[in-house]
Amino acid sequence: MKGIAFVAACVLAGGCGPKAVITAGPTRALPPHREIVLDSGPKAPRRMVPPEVFLRAYLTWFGGLSPGATLLRAREGDLFDQWTDYLAALGLPDHHFDVPRAMQSNTVMLAAIGRLGEALCIRSVELELRANTPIASRVIFAFEATPQPTRAQFAAGFDVLHRTFLGYPAGLGPPQRLERFFELHQKVVANHAAGQRLTPDEMAWAAVCTALVQHPETGLY
Amino acid sequence: MRRRDLLRLFAGAAVAPLIPGLARATPRSDEFFVFVHAGGGWDITLWADPRNEEKGLVVPASTRNTEVGGIRHWKPAGDSFEMLTSSTSSLRLGPAIGGLRELQDRLTIINGVSMNTVSHEDGITYATTGRHRIGGALAQSTIDVITASELGAAQLMPVVSVKFPSAFVGDQLDRRVVPLQVGSVDAVTRSFARSSLYFGDADRAAITALLTDEARSLASHSTHPEPFERLESQHRAIPPLVTGDFTRTFSTRQLQSLYPQFEYGGVLGEDTLAAAFAVEALKRDLVRCVGIGVSGFDTHGIDYRRHALQLQALFDMVATLVKLLETTRHPTRANTMLSEHTHLVVLSEFCRTPGINRNGGRDHYPNNSALIISPRFRPGVFGGTDPEQLLPLDSPLVASGPRPITPPDLLATLLGSLGIEPRRYLRDGEIVKGLLA
Repeated sequence: MKGIAFVAACVLAGGCGPKAVITAGPTRALPPHREIVLDSGPKAPRRMVPPEVFLRAYLTWFGGLSPGATLLRAREGDLFDQWTDYLAALGLPDHHFDVPRAMQSNTVMLAAIGRLGEALCIRSVELELRANTPIASRVIFAFEATPQPTRAQFAAGFDVLHRTFLGYPAGLGPPQRLERFFELHQKVVANHAAGQRLTPDEMAWAAVCTALVQHPETGLY
Repeated sequence: MRRRDLLRLFAGAAVAPLIPGLARATPRSDEFFVFVHAGGGWDITLWADPRNEEKGLVVPASTRNTEVGGIRHWKPAGDSFEMLTSSTSSLRLGPAIGGLRELQDRLTIINGVSMNTVSHEDGITYATTGRHRIGGALAQSTIDVITASELGAAQLMPVVSVKFPSAFVGDQLDRRVVPLQVGSVDAVTRSFARSSLYFGDADRAAITALLTDEARSLASHSTHPEPFERLESQHRAIPPLVTGDFTRTFSTRQLQSLYPQFEYGGVLGEDTLAAAFAVEALKRDLVRCVGIGVSGFDTHGIDYRRHALQLQALFDMVATLVKLLETTRHPTRANTMLSEHTHLVVLSEFCRTPGINRNGGRDHYPNNSALIISPRFRPGVFGGTDPEQLLPLDSPLVASGPRPITPPDLLATLLGSLGIEPRRYLRDGEIVKGLLA
């Protein structure tokens, strides 16, 4: 109790002292903000899509095929070889040769993937257009392919392929895209005569498919 | 010149550094490069830094631990071998030098290269990039990718690596030089092979034209145009390789028939094909750098008995390659042979222990040697190791010494010899002027 009284007396004694006076002086102007230029350029490290992403996309597009089923489909007609022939070329690690996984795409990789894409597109044409499979059962060419299509007829079929491979309607793409693909279709039709393994129209749709599976936008996924 | 053209020229010159595409444009060079990696760690006491007597830790190669039957330059001396000497210099080589014995006056051998590692992955990375690994990651690009980025980005195939440990790291390099890394030459040719049953060349040309147009168009609309620009250039590189005679010429059979000088069925097996590929690809001006990986040097056990044969086969391959380059015309320079503008570097991740282990082999050792055959390098043997432990000695050639020569010094010297500022790509290393011609 004595202690509390002593502390209270000290506080009171302190509170009764002379008041400290703080006089207001003129306010100094704050220094101006320095203008800091921020570099807002892209800083993300440059990279390409890893090869597994390309390959997974391929297997999914063509009906969720297993690697073995893909091979069976693609090899016929000297269109593709064994996966093991291409491991490093596709960017996958090849432990036989101690070649590590490729972290960037390169020309050989695009060529090897292009070879696979060409094979799968041609095979799909054979299995769906050539065999006249019911449209509901088709995986890639799920549209009525009219011979010598007009621009409008081509656009309808192209839209189906565009949605499959690039994931959105062709109408939302750059305006020149439809023209470029229609031109490709016409060029390939002109390059081929009737009476070959596939009709000129079938070859043209195979070419459109081949171009779409290798399209630069697939690198965005 | 019209006034308007003159003004346009000046305006272009002023603007060029500001436009990424123009600033990056690489001048075309006519120098070529071949990098050879002896995978597993080689025994330098059999060739570059020969030892033929027991001293300290050193147990030399002898008939007790080495199969000497096929070693052409093995001359017995006591229990070991006789050194190969030169009448014109103080050069001393070991018996596994093989065909390079004939070219000894052109060799630049650097001994006592300090590696600071006995891990394969780290040694490979340090030898080829000049930096140790950071954790598992590479900190710098390999030397082949750097030279290609500086001197050959416009080439159809700037870097082809057949089992060579190429790596593209960082963002200061041209995207076109991402190495074409494969396990065999065959994988390259198969990738460009196309069936003629369906599409023809005209169809494929139309598809490529469309893809390059699309890539260019996407690049022009993109915040990050570079991936699209590079895809465009990669797509554009494919048709000449698909439609020409590339796949036919570079098939295994054709290469073997074009260059019967190489020993295809020998100790190195398929690896030799990459050397034949290099000669033909340089001759056709298709590539800037070829990387060749040769495996089989990691001999910890009884397999060490054939280590000298493996080395001899490697140096025979290199010697054949050099001789072919001497007789092959440069693709773009008149009256010039390829050897005058080709730089060849042979390296490994480290050397093997000076002593023989209880399994009859040699283990990993943090010392190394390197071999360079280049018109920009001075022939001779440089650097050295101590007589008892085979460890690197300080080199008087290193200006920032006293210290031994290290891999970054060698890589910096190679870049410096080509007029490339090493510090743009290498954190460490100095240009060792004493190595340069």
